[in-house]
Amino acid sequence: MNYIGEHLWAAELGRGLTAFSFAFALLSAVAYYQKGAQWKTLGRLAFRLHATALFGLIGTLFFIMANHYFEFDYVWKHTSLDLAPRYLFSAFWEGQEGSFLLWMFWNAILGWILTYSAKSFEGPVVGVFAAVQAFLVSMILGVYIGDLHIGYSPFILVRELSENVGLPWTQFADYLTRFPNFADGSGLNPLLQNYWMTIHPPTLFLGFASTLVPFSYAIAALLRKDYKSWINSALIWSFFSVGILGVGILMGGAWAYEALSFGGFWAWDPVENTSLVPWLTMVAGAHLLLIQRNKGGVMPSALFLLILTFLLILYSTFLTRSGVLGDSSVHAFVDLGLSGQLLIYLLFFTIGALGLLLVRYKGLPKKEKEDRMDSREFWMFIGALTLLISGLQITLSTSYPVFNKLFGPEGVLFTLYDRNKVLNEPIAHYNAIQVPFTIIITLLMGAGQFLAYRKTTTASFFKRQILSLVATTVITFAGSAALQMWNPMYIFLFWTSCYAIIANAEFWLRWAKGQSAVAGSSVAHIGFGLIIAGSLISNANKTIISQNDTFIHEDFPSNENLLIEQGDTVPMGNYFVSWSEQSEEGHFVNYHLDFFEEKDGKLQPVFDLKPRIQINERMGNVAEPSTKHFALKDIYTHVTYADLRTAEELGDEEWKNQFEIEFNLNESHYLYGKYQVTLDTLLVDAPDKDGELEYAVLGAGITVKTMDDSTYKVMPVYVVEGNEVKHMDTEIKELGLKFRFDRINYETNRPVIVASEHKEEEVPFILVKAVVFPWINLLWIGSILMALGTVIAVVQRLKRA
Amino acid sequence: MKNSQVAIIIAIAVLIGYTLVKLGNSATYSDFTTAATAEGETTTVIAYLDLDAEMNFVPKSVQFSFGAIDKKGRKQRIIYYEPKPQDFERSEEITLTGYDADTAFIATEILMKCPSKYNEQNEVDSEKIYK
Repeated sequence: MNYIGEHLWAAELGRGLTAFSFAFALLSAVAYYQKGAQWKTLGRLAFRLHATALFGLIGTLFFIMANHYFEFDYVWKHTSLDLAPRYLFSAFWEGQEGSFLLWMFWNAILGWILTYSAKSFEGPVVGVFAAVQAFLVSMILGVYIGDLHIGYSPFILVRELSENVGLPWTQFADYLTRFPNFADGSGLNPLLQNYWMTIHPPTLFLGFASTLVPFSYAIAALLRKDYKSWINSALIWSFFSVGILGVGILMGGAWAYEALSFGGFWAWDPVENTSLVPWLTMVAGAHLLLIQRNKGGVMPSALFLLILTFLLILYSTFLTRSGVLGDSSVHAFVDLGLSGQLLIYLLFFTIGALGLLLVRYKGLPKKEKEDRMDSREFWMFIGALTLLISGLQITLSTSYPVFNKLFGPEGVLFTLYDRNKVLNEPIAHYNAIQVPFTIIITLLMGAGQFLAYRKTTTASFFKRQILSLVATTVITFAGSAALQMWNPMYIFLFWTSCYAIIANAEFWLRWAKGQSAVAGSSVAHIGFGLIIAGSLISNANKTIISQNDTFIHEDFPSNENLLIEQGDTVPMGNYFVSWSEQSEEGHFVNYHLDFFEEKDGKLQPVFDLKPRIQINERMGNVAEPSTKHFALKDIYTHVTYADLRTAEELGDEEWKNQFEIEFNLNESHYLYGKYQVTLDTLLVDAPDKDGELEYAVLGAGITVKTMDDSTYKVMPVYVVEGNEVKHMDTEIKELGLKFRFDRINYETNRPVIVASEHKEEEVPFILVKAVVFPWINLLWIGSILMALGTVIAVVQRLKRA
Repeated sequence: MKNSQVAIIIAIAVLIGYTLVKLGNSATYSDFTTAATAEGETTTVIAYLDLDAEMNFVPKSVQFSFGAIDKKGRKQRIIYYEPKPQDFERSEEITLTGYDADTAFIATEILMKCPSKYNEQNEVDSEKIYK
């Protein structure tokens, strides 16, 4: 059948380019592996053809998305007609296929650069790139061999999806115009309609791609048995990777903090963890390379860490894309059924790379002489080891879902335990374990600068940094006192991170006389110290100022949402807040919150915030926070509830907001955010006549206490006579409240009271959550400095190389 | 023995010790029956939304209550003292962290798995056509 209106040429082109790209990547890998100049030329040509085909297919996908060809499944799922063009990039990498393409794009760019820069290492280095690319392209190949499918193509048409094949609607040649379904796509998830989503994924995936360069150099060194000439290039690329991956991860944090309502920048989510861990091992590996170049003796560990980093990236890919994390992560991808293929990919490189390292292990250059305990290399090695252990701990704890699949009740290997394991309080768990590791790392970061390679004299070690030690101690205690932070572990970490900042500054400015050679490392270390100090302080001392503890019963979980009625001004932390109006702006409803401070008994406006809700019928509404930044603190707010119904939908019943309360005698409950209701007495009158119950009258004596301490007493009555039930409701006219003795819960033998509110009492209101994060700017300044420091370090090394 | 070897051995010992301790006393996914026997203790239960049960959110007292069915089929009333999560009705599976109180399971954290979160089923409604 010839379908009308389909853009089959795009499908043909896209799939054709995918196939070419795959074939050339394979050819390139094989050719580069052979010996001889001709093979190398062929390998290079094949790699560039692979990259060209890949760019072509990415261009094709962009084209069909920009033109909204909704017969394509990927286009239909990720774009819609009303999608602003600036979000086209976000839509492109929203799905698994697109994000694989983004990753491949960077690999192709880096590989292409290496065809020029790797010189004598080009063969094995770009060869590894080609092999990795072949695996990645296979993820979007979309080839079916019998029941087995290899990859999932972004160029598949909706009518070609296995669940649609053979359905009656596919029998219409004009299905595109016949069915309204194809008039518009499903659109981009509103959470992702944000500028961070445009810059965070490309940076992160460039970080992912960059880990492949040191890995390829390590493999090349092992294949060639040449353990010297690779170090300089690998060193530059490792620090490039540290910088980019670090910035990518921090951008994710900034995005979560600025635009998502998670209430923070880091949540120890599996997806965050599995990108942090390769960064930790890359930092360790890059520092080991530094030792190797300056002193030697750590070749096996350096190779191991650089290889491990890339393997951890693969593991991360497997975890986030195979559907394993479904129960434990908020932002893993949807399972496309590629888990088998991902597993093969992971195992191929793990077994291949670690196997090669084992085979070559005997011939690796080893230490001739043991490091002294007072040498810089010894403590840098300890630092690297600490980073590795810290990373492995995060990996183990994040891998619970994997252990459950392997050894749990439905274990693939065998059953070790009869219930699936889980972390109940992941944030507390990771913080408790990672804080000591961070203390060691920051301590070494400061002290390391004052240690010399080979040996250091104790006197000069302390003498040179006496200023730093004094300044750190003074600042730590002054800071802790200002913040009222008295947890000893936190003070210790605060001390070590200040020490890392100050000692590096002193070393650079005073002892190295501001030399550009150590500028990179000093600035990056200062940045890292600031990141740790900022994270510690803003998290350990964050206060939820929207906490409403008036009237809260002692068993009642504390409520972190403050109710603000329109026009009312309520206290919140040190401020008073009022909600005056709301405004619509495109897909957004903005809520105008005005913050006041009390001065001389009067309220002075200080600032205003506009947290908003994005209205999205298809995907559900999403709250976006609004944050007021001060030098020393941030005030972060988001609307956790707002009634978005129109007047028509609200209806006009007289009594609204029915709320059921099941009481124990003398128990208090919290009602409508402003009343405390207590069951004082329960009266029962149940006379029996000739041994049978004639009737029963039950009265519940209830006390209602308002915010301004006025008290009202009411007694709703419940009458049972034979099969008939009667209610005598009571009203408090002043408050517009009505109580009904609804029934007795026979399971618990407790009275159930239903409260409702008169419609005139119903003033529009919103619920707001507000958090103060003190000193969080340290974190952002630190992030910028760390990125800057890495750039300086890379540029300096490039100049010297 | 070399210093670095001592360091590596210590590090490995720390890691093995940690793993053993963690696997020994880590929590397990629970169900409502088990949760009820340990009142007040925090557990994590994977459950489905009980569509027959009443779902009620009272914004003014920030109380969201709904029914859930665990994997063994036991129904339970859940109370969550936070605003109702977006798209809650569409969730396929809910991971609930919280504790059992005698009348209901008090959830402190809810994680939903929605088919719509990153992907939407592309079902063509063939009844609906342009006339």
